Amino acid sequence: MQRRTHLTILASLMLSTGMALAADPIKVGVTGPYTGGSSSMGVSMRDGVKLAISEINKAGGVLGRQLQAVERDDEAKNERGVQIAQELINKEKVVATLGFINTGVALASQRFYQEAKIPVFNNVATGSIVTQQFKAPEFPDNYIFRNAAHDSIQAPMIVEEAIGRRGFKKVAILADSTNYGQLGREDLEKALSAKGVKPVAVEKFNIKDVDMTPQLLKAKEAGAEAILTYAIGPELAQIANGMTKLGWKVPMVGSWTLSMANFIDNAGPGGEGARMPQTFIQEANTVKRKAFIEGYLKTFKPKNNRIDSPVSAAQGYDSVYLLAAAIKQAGSTDGVKIREALENLQTKVEGVVTTYDKPFTHDDHEAITANIPVFGEVKGSKVVYAYEEDRQKGADIRTKAVKKDAAAAKQPAKK
Amino acid sequence: MEILLQLVYSGIALGMIYAVIAFGYQLTFATSDTLNFGQGEALMLGALVALTLVDRLGMNYWLAIPLVGVFGLFQGALVERIGVRPAIKIKSEFGWIMSTIALGIIFKNVAENIWGRDDLKFPSPLPESPLKIMGANVLPMELLVIGGALLMMLAVEFFNRKTIYGKAVVATFNDRDAAKLMGINTGLVITFSYALSSLTASFAGMLIAPLTLTGATMGAVLGLKAFAVAIIGGLTSGMGIIVGGIILGIAETTTGFYLSTGYKDVPGLVLLLLVLAVKPAGLFGKSAIKKV
Repeated sequence: MQRRTHLTILASLMLSTGMALAADPIKVGVTGPYTGGSSSMGVSMRDGVKLAISEINKAGGVLGRQLQAVERDDEAKNERGVQIAQELINKEKVVATLGFINTGVALASQRFYQEAKIPVFNNVATGSIVTQQFKAPEFPDNYIFRNAAHDSIQAPMIVEEAIGRRGFKKVAILADSTNYGQLGREDLEKALSAKGVKPVAVEKFNIKDVDMTPQLLKAKEAGAEAILTYAIGPELAQIANGMTKLGWKVPMVGSWTLSMANFIDNAGPGGEGARMPQTFIQEANTVKRKAFIEGYLKTFKPKNNRIDSPVSAAQGYDSVYLLAAAIKQAGSTDGVKIREALENLQTKVEGVVTTYDKPFTHDDHEAITANIPVFGEVKGSKVVYAYEEDRQKGADIRTKAVKKDAAAAKQPAKK
Repeated sequence: MEILLQLVYSGIALGMIYAVIAFGYQLTFATSDTLNFGQGEALMLGALVALTLVDRLGMNYWLAIPLVGVFGLFQGALVERIGVRPAIKIKSEFGWIMSTIALGIIFKNVAENIWGRDDLKFPSPLPESPLKIMGANVLPMELLVIGGALLMMLAVEFFNRKTIYGKAVVATFNDRDAAKLMGINTGLVITFSYALSSLTASFAGMLIAPLTLTGATMGAVLGLKAFAVAIIGGLTSGMGIIVGGIILGIAETTTGFYLSTGYKDVPGLVLLLLVLAVKPAGLFGKSAIKKV
């Protein structure tokens, strides 16, 4: 009898040392621009990810192991992104990578993950083709997932807001000369022509341009009633400042980057009233969102209690929970198994943006559908709900539209 | 007509932004035949130091100007001592190009570490609502930039023509060895010119920061455009810098409007090539005849 207890103790000891060996942390790559013009998105995303990871670790981790974020600053540069991808895959041996703010960087870097069969979660980059890069039939399996509102959702929303809801007849498009701006401009023009509207002016500008007078004068002369934008914070602010200078103020409606802190701060009063699609607005209207916002403000202490980019933070946060659920279901950190689990997620994942109920299938890697984002508006240097009815219904979780609707919603954008 | 006027106004304001930066190139060229390619970074440092003084320490904008100027003096002297003097000493033709570029990169990295890489808002010392002049709009801050540029031009011309120190500068430019024999401390004159050049850059940074955005990367594009202005106008003429700035500024805004905003940088650069081909010393520059 005594002997047997000894044996059990020995066995349990062996087991526990075995456990300790297996309890190496699960490494997750986190990449985005933490410096430079798009850093407000990158840093907010990273902080959202860190918040979720610390919550999961406090609750015991995943598969009994702790999650560990491996953070890398890609500086919004394609070549940095490529280096980082190789480092994370070969040296750090990450299980999956979360991040990518810039469409160009995502497109350049994802190939390495696809080849290594390691899942990538785009939690911010919005370029329509980001998840389409490795589509069937050339690629049997796609390792690129996304939980952000892509441009073929955003562009029709912007057009619907300007033309449909607010009834503007003449609009001008102002987009920057980067991949992001020019792909977005194409999406906008497509969405406008679907409504039978031709923009009265289509202008572009470079990153770091300090004078927007010619672009704005052209829009003004063409009689534009609103300006549709596709650019990032600093240059958007120069557009707003340019309008103030010309003494000509028409509404700005544009992609979700109009919610960036460096637009709101640099544009000042000129930026008030700008509207953009948002998957998340910093308002504690559900228990989950309240906990998230309080946790974020307490841990990272942003200026004036305003998350620099609430959308990026929320999507970053949700991406960790989606990944954790997939690892749990897969019971393994093997890339192929995680992908299979993501494509057939059995548990509902309650995030701050929405509740994810079977967010992905083998052929659909977009967690966000057109019905999820709402319109935000810059008001008092904060992004708030643009429409009162959206605010009142803010607590109702908008979940992913069922497959048929999603396909229908996507159809006009693709044409 | 009103539109043309607005474009011309904006072009002048933009050109003057380039011009205030271009003065820095001129000052060092006038003594040592060398240029500080880190001019854009000197501008950026001036703007960021000013931002810290005004925004963080709550100092008055106008009172901060002399302090930023002093900072610029030291920054310029440092560049000359570390980067340019060794190159001049060994009579290296190109050493100073590499070293001033290298120092510029170092300054940029230092600024990124201190102030971060985000673009920051510089609080405007003047009201931000536009003034209407003859039917087109101008910002009060733009008028200040124009005033500052003209003031700098006058100061440079006065200094070079009327003061004994200015004569020393001109003498150093004309023949460094002869000037040395005449008892001019040419080394000091060159250091001084670099200090002065960074002073103007810091001042320029402070002037334009409320119009552009302020951040570690603000100097790169502006420094390059200012270089084009210096070449077009001529590296030896204060007047040339002003005219060159106005030409480039108006070329950018009018092409942007009448042709296409995608091509707005092209005419200015074509002009630069033309000037280099036809009158290499610049529109207002005196072509120096070098006797060997």
